[in-house]
Amino acid sequence: MGRRIAARLGQAIVVVWIVATMAFALIHAAPGDPFAFDAPNVTQAVRQHWRAQFGYDRPVPVQYVLWLRNVATGRLGYSHSLHEPVSQALRDALPRTIELMAVALVFSFGLGVLLALYQVRHRGTRRARWADKTALFFYSLPDFWLALLLLLAFAYWFPILPAGYPVDPVMHAYMGPAAALVDRLRHLVLPALTLVLLTTAVVARFQRSELLEVLPLDFVRTARAKGADDARILHRHVLRNALLPTISLFGLSLPALLGGSVFVEKIYSWQGMGYVTVNAIDQRDYPLVMAGVLVGTAMVVLGNLVADLAYAYADPRLRVD
Amino acid sequence: MIAVPAGPDNLMPPLTVSQVGHAVADLVFDHLAQMGDSMHTVGDGGFQPELASHWTWASDSLSVAFHLNPQARWHDGVPVRAADVQFSLALYKNPKVGSPVAPLLANVDSISTPDSLTAVAWFHRRTPEEFFDIAYQLWVVPRHVLDTIPPDRLGTSDAARHPIGSGRFRFMDWKPGSRLELIADTGNYRGRARLDRVIWSVAPDGQAAFAQVMSGQADLLLNATTEELRAAANQPSLRRLAWPSLQYGFLGMNLRDPTQHARPNAFLSDLRVRRAISMALDRRAMLQSVFDSMGALGHGPFPAAASTADTTLRVPPFDTAAAAALLDSAGWIRGRDGIRMKAGRRFAVGLLVPSSSETRQRYAVLIQEALRQTGIDASIQGMAFGPYVQRLTTGNFDLVMDGVGIDPNIGAVLQAWGTGGAPPNGLNFLGYSSPRVDALMDSATSSFNPVRARAYTRQAYQQIADDVPAVWLYDALSYGLISRRFQVPAVRPDGWWKHLADWTVPVADRIDRDRIGLGPPKS
Amino acid sequence: MSTERPRGLAGSLGALPQGARVALIVLAVLALGALLAPLLTPYEPYQQLGIVHLKSLPPSWTHPFGTDRYSRDVYTRILFAARVSLSIATLAVLVSSTIGLAYGAVSGFVGGWVDAVMMRLLDALLSVPRVLMLIAVLALWSPVPVWALVLLIGLTGWFEVARIVRGQALGLREREFVVAARALGARRTRIIWRHVIPNVLSPVLVAGALAIGGVVILEAGLSYLGIGVQEPMASWGTMFHDATTQFVGTWWAVIFPGAAIVATVLAFNTVGDALRDRLDPHQLPGRPAPADAPPAPPVSILPQEPVHG
Repeated sequence: MGRRIAARLGQAIVVVWIVATMAFALIHAAPGDPFAFDAPNVTQAVRQHWRAQFGYDRPVPVQYVLWLRNVATGRLGYSHSLHEPVSQALRDALPRTIELMAVALVFSFGLGVLLALYQVRHRGTRRARWADKTALFFYSLPDFWLALLLLLAFAYWFPILPAGYPVDPVMHAYMGPAAALVDRLRHLVLPALTLVLLTTAVVARFQRSELLEVLPLDFVRTARAKGADDARILHRHVLRNALLPTISLFGLSLPALLGGSVFVEKIYSWQGMGYVTVNAIDQRDYPLVMAGVLVGTAMVVLGNLVADLAYAYADPRLRVD
Repeated sequence: MIAVPAGPDNLMPPLTVSQVGHAVADLVFDHLAQMGDSMHTVGDGGFQPELASHWTWASDSLSVAFHLNPQARWHDGVPVRAADVQFSLALYKNPKVGSPVAPLLANVDSISTPDSLTAVAWFHRRTPEEFFDIAYQLWVVPRHVLDTIPPDRLGTSDAARHPIGSGRFRFMDWKPGSRLELIADTGNYRGRARLDRVIWSVAPDGQAAFAQVMSGQADLLLNATTEELRAAANQPSLRRLAWPSLQYGFLGMNLRDPTQHARPNAFLSDLRVRRAISMALDRRAMLQSVFDSMGALGHGPFPAAASTADTTLRVPPFDTAAAAALLDSAGWIRGRDGIRMKAGRRFAVGLLVPSSSETRQRYAVLIQEALRQTGIDASIQGMAFGPYVQRLTTGNFDLVMDGVGIDPNIGAVLQAWGTGGAPPNGLNFLGYSSPRVDALMDSATSSFNPVRARAYTRQAYQQIADDVPAVWLYDALSYGLISRRFQVPAVRPDGWWKHLADWTVPVADRIDRDRIGLGPPKS
Repeated sequence: MSTERPRGLAGSLGALPQGARVALIVLAVLALGALLAPLLTPYEPYQQLGIVHLKSLPPSWTHPFGTDRYSRDVYTRILFAARVSLSIATLAVLVSSTIGLAYGAVSGFVGGWVDAVMMRLLDALLSVPRVLMLIAVLALWSPVPVWALVLLIGLTGWFEVARIVRGQALGLREREFVVAARALGARRTRIIWRHVIPNVLSPVLVAGALAIGGVVILEAGLSYLGIGVQEPMASWGTMFHDATTQFVGTWWAVIFPGAAIVATVLAFNTVGDALRDRLDPHQLPGRPAPADAPPAPPVSILPQEPVHG
């Protein structure tokens, strides 16, 4: 098991490195100038001076080597669009994205599995078909559209929830701990709800197929022959086996979740990784984009790694390894 | 609490170029004197005392002595002294700092300090707007805070993120990309600001920013669109806030080839074609389409709020038949697909537009269709701001939906259209060059007689309008949505925030947000 | 062991459940509307009918879906946008299916170290956050021509298909007719072409049907951000982009394109689901246990890449 983890970890680092290199090449090949501000009176000489200050006047291969060396030693550079060190920007943004994604993952996997169980348990009935159709409907909704609709419904037409930001930008710093917590939760509701609705549909559809897959297998028939009742079989035998692939879905859904959260973060002004990275792209803030890509890929790769290991651990056929 | 689409770039006065950065610098730092609401820029007429309580001119007008207000204190308690003014000018002019304002201070030679409360500014030569230069362009920064920072590290220094000034607001907190907070400086020599606290909150998604104002989460939305204004009309807690601005928008036509600058533009170097394009666009209808009744028509190469504005300029009238005839006479004949051809070449041009500007994008779509009707195929090239400016400065475009925001002085108005204003020195990205305009501009900026100066600028404007390097579309009248709680004095064109320290909220209308007080945050 | 072969696609269509048949009708209507767009409306999609007085009109008899802020007829634009959105989605899925098919077939059939390397590469590619990568590339090079958009979406969408095909190809390697062909001395390329690819086509078609819905959403999202299809050409996503700043005032310019997207995606997914139920590769006879345990979960059931999370 130890060797296996080490091998997978090494592989993960290589993957992150490849993706980061690709991103580095892309952003430096793209047109655009990091110092093209809307300032009529900024002369080319001044822009050149700024470029030199950040090292952008050097040849790209040199910049690449410097960047690799800096990343290896933990220096991520200075974000000229945010005017703060990149590490500081990440310290602010990463927890916000993790907060949002963790809530979305926990709720959607929980709800998704429950919904699938409900559907399979009542398979063939009208209720199950309606549950199935509902899942398919949410599965077919564009993410940004749902986010916009929820925003307008609950922050504009029925203004009962705040319209954006992770916390109230004015009052939060001046609240007591209880009020601050409530404030944080209120701001979390809409973006998290958007992600949960969409991901739950994905999980439920996947889990339902898995359950139906396991249902006709021999050991289920055996259990049934032994006289176990339907609910018991479903929960004791079928679910356990059908959950295994769902662990892998967890890893597989991370890139998509990260992509979806870009839209959600943008619409709800949720200053997380997706939001920061997309802004940084527009501003040609190279160090920040690179850090965003690095962190995003690392999150996905780590998620996959954890899912793989959990899978290996949970699958009795592989535990002997 | 102000909802804005983008945060500040930098809070160091010599370096900031963003609008929010400018506003914050203006609120946290002081000028020597403040331009009056009349926006006069010639001489010192209308200028109000700020850091300097009064000033005395030398008899030859080559120097002016500013007498600093002895009460003025930096926000850390240190008094403001003449040495700070001297240091500030040197800092602005230091090439290692790379201040974009430095060229505008070129005529100010140096500052001497005969005593600790007197700063004498010396000019190279006597010009009508020399007082404006030193008073308007220079924010006085604290020497004791900044003199230990290497000049080329100023922009990335901690001081650039936690500015200490002498203005009526003091800096509190900045979370880049999300919020920025100022609070009133209680012991300020010009009086305590009447608002306790000003917070910018960044929401790049327009819909979110609007929803925040509508739901009362934010108090002020800058640059509201017409749809938003209309939707907010029946929201009792909000009202409109309008002010003229120094920005104007136009369709620019590149006179040079986009890639080989030595060659003339194959389509647009012909005056007949440029006139035809101008005549093909119904500027009034477009204005009404984009701004409803809330727009102001562009009159020429200047914003209407500029002191030299001239609304009687002759520009080509809207006349599609005449436009078609002009194009025919220029040899551009309609092809089978409706697009004009000349010597086997299709009249297909790019129309560069920054995707960050809602207004300009809307104009671009309207112009594209109007030109298609005239037989010109314009493909819209919407770009993020960085790439847009790069294309603009390198002249790599045919048509461009450009907008210019300028300083209120005469020189700035013409900087965009003179031969000398070609990049890298100015905003003349179109390759427009007219010796007559240059000569008239020179006469205008060096004349001490306001009437004569006005006559020269008028002639220069008419010459530019006759050459049609652009179609003047609109004057960026700025509309905001503001909570009715606020009582707002007059709003200035050169910055809505100029009188922010005098905005008030009547006690009866205050809400929780207004009652926080000045204490530090709990967390 | 039964020698029953999977039923053909055409055979399955007839026996689809009612929901799927409704979905097929919806798709047919959409496709017809797109094809016959010029006959179904008196207006042109780019035509600005009256930029002052006819802009942002609510739905009426003359403009059933209202007009947008440029005074263009929303109904007309939805019809013409269907052409753009549907062809982008179809072509992109075609690109990704083709690449995925080739990659998976080679990897699975050749096996050995080639397979190992190709699978590791696939793992790496699957770790790239697709949407983020697309946004990055498109935002950096915006505006991008439509063919490049199709290519980019296609090039980032074949990973799942490759996995499915590889799983199938692994199984086929041991099937009688392939073994027989190999014994007869047939070349590997010939076996891949003649035997492997035709046999894995059905699951690829199912995956493709399911992927189209995802791509419609993806393209709409990118166009909504303003980095996909550009003015004046309209996709449903571009219409969003046009309209979101006035969501509050002119709901019709947002609701109708949105409804078109939801209807399309729902229809594709319903049909895809039904096809999958018919052709579920897991019910193929002789499906081997995963050859190289463990990871590869039975991805073929993962109906499509979850485009949103």
